Amino acid sequence: MSYQRITTYNSRRQQNWSRNQNTVAYVSAIKLGPITHTVLVAFMVTILGLIYLTQATKATSYDYEAQKIDSQIAELNLQKSDLEIENARLTALETAKTNSAVATMTTPASTQYVNQ
Amino acid sequence: MKLELQKGSRSKILSGLVIIAMAVFVIRLFYLQILQHNYYVDLAKGEQEKRLIVPAKRGLIYGLDGSTPIPLVMNQNVYTVFADPKVVTDKSKIIDTVQKVAGGNARSDLSGLLDKKDTRYQILATKLTRTQADMIKAANLSGVGFQEESQRVYPEGSLAAQVLGFVSSDGVGKYGVEGELDDDLSGKDGLLVSVTDVNDVPLTIGRDNIDIPAQNGKNIVLSIDRNIQSHIQQALADGLSRTGATRGSVVVMNPQNGQVMAMANLPSYDPSKYNQVEDIAVFNNGVVSTPYEPGSDVKTFTMATGIDKGVVSASDTYNNTDYITVDDRTITNATLGHTGNITFQYALNWSLNTGFVTVAERLGDGKSINLQARNTMYDYFYNRFKLGQLTGVELSNEAEGTVIPPSDSQGNAVRYSNMAFGQGLDVTMVQVASAFCSIANGGNYYKPTVIAGTIDSSGKFVATKTAVASQPISSTTAQQVREMAHVARSTFFSSVDKAGYYTGGKTGTSQVIKNGTYASDETIATYLGFGGTVNESKYVIMVQISGDHKELQGARDALPIFTDISNWMLDYLKVQPKG
Repeated sequence: MSYQRITTYNSRRQQNWSRNQNTVAYVSAIKLGPITHTVLVAFMVTILGLIYLTQATKATSYDYEAQKIDSQIAELNLQKSDLEIENARLTALETAKTNSAVATMTTPASTQYVNQ
Repeated sequence: MKLELQKGSRSKILSGLVIIAMAVFVIRLFYLQILQHNYYVDLAKGEQEKRLIVPAKRGLIYGLDGSTPIPLVMNQNVYTVFADPKVVTDKSKIIDTVQKVAGGNARSDLSGLLDKKDTRYQILATKLTRTQADMIKAANLSGVGFQEESQRVYPEGSLAAQVLGFVSSDGVGKYGVEGELDDDLSGKDGLLVSVTDVNDVPLTIGRDNIDIPAQNGKNIVLSIDRNIQSHIQQALADGLSRTGATRGSVVVMNPQNGQVMAMANLPSYDPSKYNQVEDIAVFNNGVVSTPYEPGSDVKTFTMATGIDKGVVSASDTYNNTDYITVDDRTITNATLGHTGNITFQYALNWSLNTGFVTVAERLGDGKSINLQARNTMYDYFYNRFKLGQLTGVELSNEAEGTVIPPSDSQGNAVRYSNMAFGQGLDVTMVQVASAFCSIANGGNYYKPTVIAGTIDSSGKFVATKTAVASQPISSTTAQQVREMAHVARSTFFSSVDKAGYYTGGKTGTSQVIKNGTYASDETIATYLGFGGTVNESKYVIMVQISGDHKELQGARDALPIFTDISNWMLDYLKVQPKG
């Protein structure tokens, strides 16, 4: 048993006047050979590599900036800490006891209280 | 034909060799990249990555100035200056600079140290401030380096030294709050694992970077008021000087919440020079670490037990014969001659032992200190007043003491008769003062604490909530015993107290056990009292002084120290007098 093709159908793609299809095809006059293709691909890879390197370097430069700021923060914290210690020492009871103004203070002879 | 065969054979051989070579490469690459992958990754990480421990800052310790936190213990970065004698070029310049900048912190024989050319590390000066280190750095000395370290500094000097403790050279808290709260103060070190450049600057390009920030230690605010602390240290020093005693301790507590307002011990030490201490006994905080027989101070607790159980009152009487027999032992009064029917108030005024043995007897059948009496006493002393057990105060090396239960063969009637007037039990001052607070405040027992709160990350003082109190005795019992202590004090010492206030207390003269027996030439003098208004006790003060071969008395030697502190406290706390 066999089948025989009795009708030939043409697809729309094969019909020049079908919808949504250009009727004119432009062909570039420049022909790229395999070497040119290879060079172009290598060039694109290089560009992509450079972009990657630029971004990575940029991120690293931010690291140095961050490190610099961290160092400044640490330095300022140290200065703050030293000043706090100095402040605590200057306001300590031992310091107050040896203060000349304190040495001249006297105990009140009598104390009066006000009813609140 | 033969030639073609030969040509084909060479190309086949060549292609075979190429295939073999490629196979070798592939196998080698497979071995290196697949099988040995982890090894080489680790090797690369080892070269590129650095593991840096980010040290946590130890928490600061604050005290109070009234209600304002003030720093007692802080951290300061200090520098050690060292030299590599092999690299040093200008010896005289180094010596001049270091001596000029470091002063007393410079080593004595700098020239000799720099001459040791067979060594690579010689310390020239220690504990320099950042400013000093910067000055030496500015001199650009060849072969000189710096090592940074953090050390504890004490702006208030040796104030409250035994309460604070110190941090050893290896960074571990020892004694006092530093020792007890070491974990809280230490914090937790952070970890930074990162790809770094040649200068060890961390870079973010690594995929496996780890950045766990350090958790700094808690900043703790103690309830120690520096003004009270300073005053009690001076008052205690004066008291020791006056009496000839060589050891002394004072604790001042707020009876309304159990907070320790001040705690002092003499002799003391400077925590910044802890490594120069010759006798390590000075590190101990006697208030919490040295149990002793409390003596007559305990009579207030015996009286509270009797009143709370309803077997005695201040005005009840008993027949005092100056001695009382318990089993095969005869107990005598220290003060003789007040014989006849006397009240328990009178017995407390004169601290007569027979009165309190009688109270103990009345807790049982009235004739002997039977098991019921002993169980009742133990319940009040141990379970309610918490004598002979750890209080949980946040200070290291707290001692438990000993209160022997009636179930023990040693817990017989003789022991409990002795316990009624303060012998035969070992307790610490903080236990006694905390228990006495419950008499002074109307019957509430608060766990003693030296913590007032913390300083949060924004620098704000966050006060700790007062713990829920237990009620060892009823408020009416507490009021009666408080009034008895007031009468006992005012009977003999009202003239030394500031007028218009309500103070009370009890003297104690304890015998000292040496080599298993009571020493005949040594006693411990104590005074335990409160002060404030009729309506509210503002403070509880306990004083204890002692010395080798010193016979000291509570009324004569310890009481004046209490009086000094008490009168000062009334002014300091701005307590308004009555009338």
